[in-house]
Amino acid sequence: MTEPAIRASGLQKRYGDVQALDDLDLTVDQGEFFGLLGPNGAGKTTFINTLVGLVHKDRGTAEVFGFDVEDDYREARDRIGVAPQEFNVDRFFPIIEVLEHKAGYHGIGRAEARERAEDALKTVGIWDKRDTRFDWLSGGMKRRFVLARALVSDPDLLILDEPTAGVDVQLRHDLWEIINRMNDAGTTILLTTHYIEEAERLCDRVAIMDDGQKVEVAAPDDLMARGTDTIVLGLAEMPRTTPRLDVEGVTDVELTDEGLAVTAMGGSQTAPSIMRELEAQGHTVTSLDIRRASLEEVFVDMTRDDREYAEVSA
Amino acid sequence: MNQNTTQFLTLVRREILRFVRRPYNTFLPPIITNALYFSVFGVILGSQIGQIAGRSYLQFVLPGLVVLGAISDSFENASFTIFHGRWNDYIQAVLTSPMSNRSMVAAYVSASALRGIVTSLLIIGVGLIFTSVSVPNPVYLVSFLLVITTLFGGLGVIGGLWSSDFDYLTVMNQFILRPLVFFGAVFYSLEELPEFWGSVSLLNPMVYMVNGVRYGMIGVTEIDPNTSLAVLTGTTVVVLSIDYVLFRRGYGLAE
Repeated sequence: MTEPAIRASGLQKRYGDVQALDDLDLTVDQGEFFGLLGPNGAGKTTFINTLVGLVHKDRGTAEVFGFDVEDDYREARDRIGVAPQEFNVDRFFPIIEVLEHKAGYHGIGRAEARERAEDALKTVGIWDKRDTRFDWLSGGMKRRFVLARALVSDPDLLILDEPTAGVDVQLRHDLWEIINRMNDAGTTILLTTHYIEEAERLCDRVAIMDDGQKVEVAAPDDLMARGTDTIVLGLAEMPRTTPRLDVEGVTDVELTDEGLAVTAMGGSQTAPSIMRELEAQGHTVTSLDIRRASLEEVFVDMTRDDREYAEVSA
Repeated sequence: MNQNTTQFLTLVRREILRFVRRPYNTFLPPIITNALYFSVFGVILGSQIGQIAGRSYLQFVLPGLVVLGAISDSFENASFTIFHGRWNDYIQAVLTSPMSNRSMVAAYVSASALRGIVTSLLIIGVGLIFTSVSVPNPVYLVSFLLVITTLFGGLGVIGGLWSSDFDYLTVMNQFILRPLVFFGAVFYSLEELPEFWGSVSLLNPMVYMVNGVRYGMIGVTEIDPNTSLAVLTGTTVVVLSIDYVLFRRGYGLAE
């Protein structure tokens, strides 16, 4: 049986009063493009750092390709390439040497390390900067370099922690292309991002995390299907009062400048019933616009802080 | 070459390149400082002091200055490289690699010991401009230099892991190491001290190092060199074991 790329079970980590990981269970299959979404402080980076040995878990187990991240740390780390959110690059050396060193730490001999370093720099498009030190690169080049460093050991699992944070649209697309190529070639990708569009576009499955726990894991489309869609109906004559709609799945009805806005689960399936109900009440529907719930809305719904919500409601 | 060796040599090479490419920060200062020491203590003051243990004052202080340079640089190298790597997080490139904890410790300590030995040779070279030494016990000289630079490389690793600010490095080097060396019979003979202070000095580990190197270089010692070497070797093994445990536990490295 093929081992999953990542298998975490009952993972716990506490920093003082903060429970960073709270009994986290998560499995990422080999070859998958997996997204980790969550607000700041949800535990995403703590989870990643647990996998690579920068955080020591309090309880639970974590395995990478079947290797325990603490007991078999050498085997586990040999399979991981990580591009962290914060820049953590050796400033003493030109970037090509930094890559050679990284390859060497993975046991790759000098000649091959040089070749790999050159290939990695070419892949991310900064080969002409190979003799430059990291500090002298532009912000976008720094992001590219951090990805190159993650690639230089030819990892089976590529972990990208906010890889496109603060980069322009063009670079973001370039990075997506590189990451997609890696995934197509069989590399498992674990991506954390604040850009929901990025997860929607790239990931096979996403996990939504909050307060160190896994809230949900599903394909982006499945998650969006669970959200409430907005159906905006144009009526020949707008009523003075909001019509009452006794249709299954409808959660809210509101009169707006655009028309009658109906919030409902599964907008496409519910719309015909809504139209029939309105026509039965004597209204003539002149237009229909179904606005699907975005992953962002689903994400916000799932990670909304209950206490905060209560305060707002009060 | 197997994977372990490649990993170890890569980190050693990285460490060596770091200090070799910055000679103005690493090798020039001990050359200048010791040239000044030899000029002032050896030539100007030394002529008024006369001989100690049958050797000129310059010959007598040379081994102590070699020890001072060797331990300062091996300690400073290990503590700085680890602390700086932690401060800027780039040590994570090593920590997230499949290198074993043992290899990491061995690489940091080896490179630091090498820097200490290079510094020793430079100080000896400068000293030879001012005086001559016969090196009657070269095996002891080499053994003591290897042990004390390894020991202080190992202590530097602990210092680098413990430090949470640059001030810590200064405190350790200037306020702990240097006083111990200066009161470690570098510039005087224990016989010249009152009996009480001579006995107290024996609690200072630097005394054993200085006497060991002095025995190797000029054949003079006030302490049995074999005992010194055995105690220092044992201490080195203990310190390296602590280094390994700290790395394995992620002290100062992992959360």
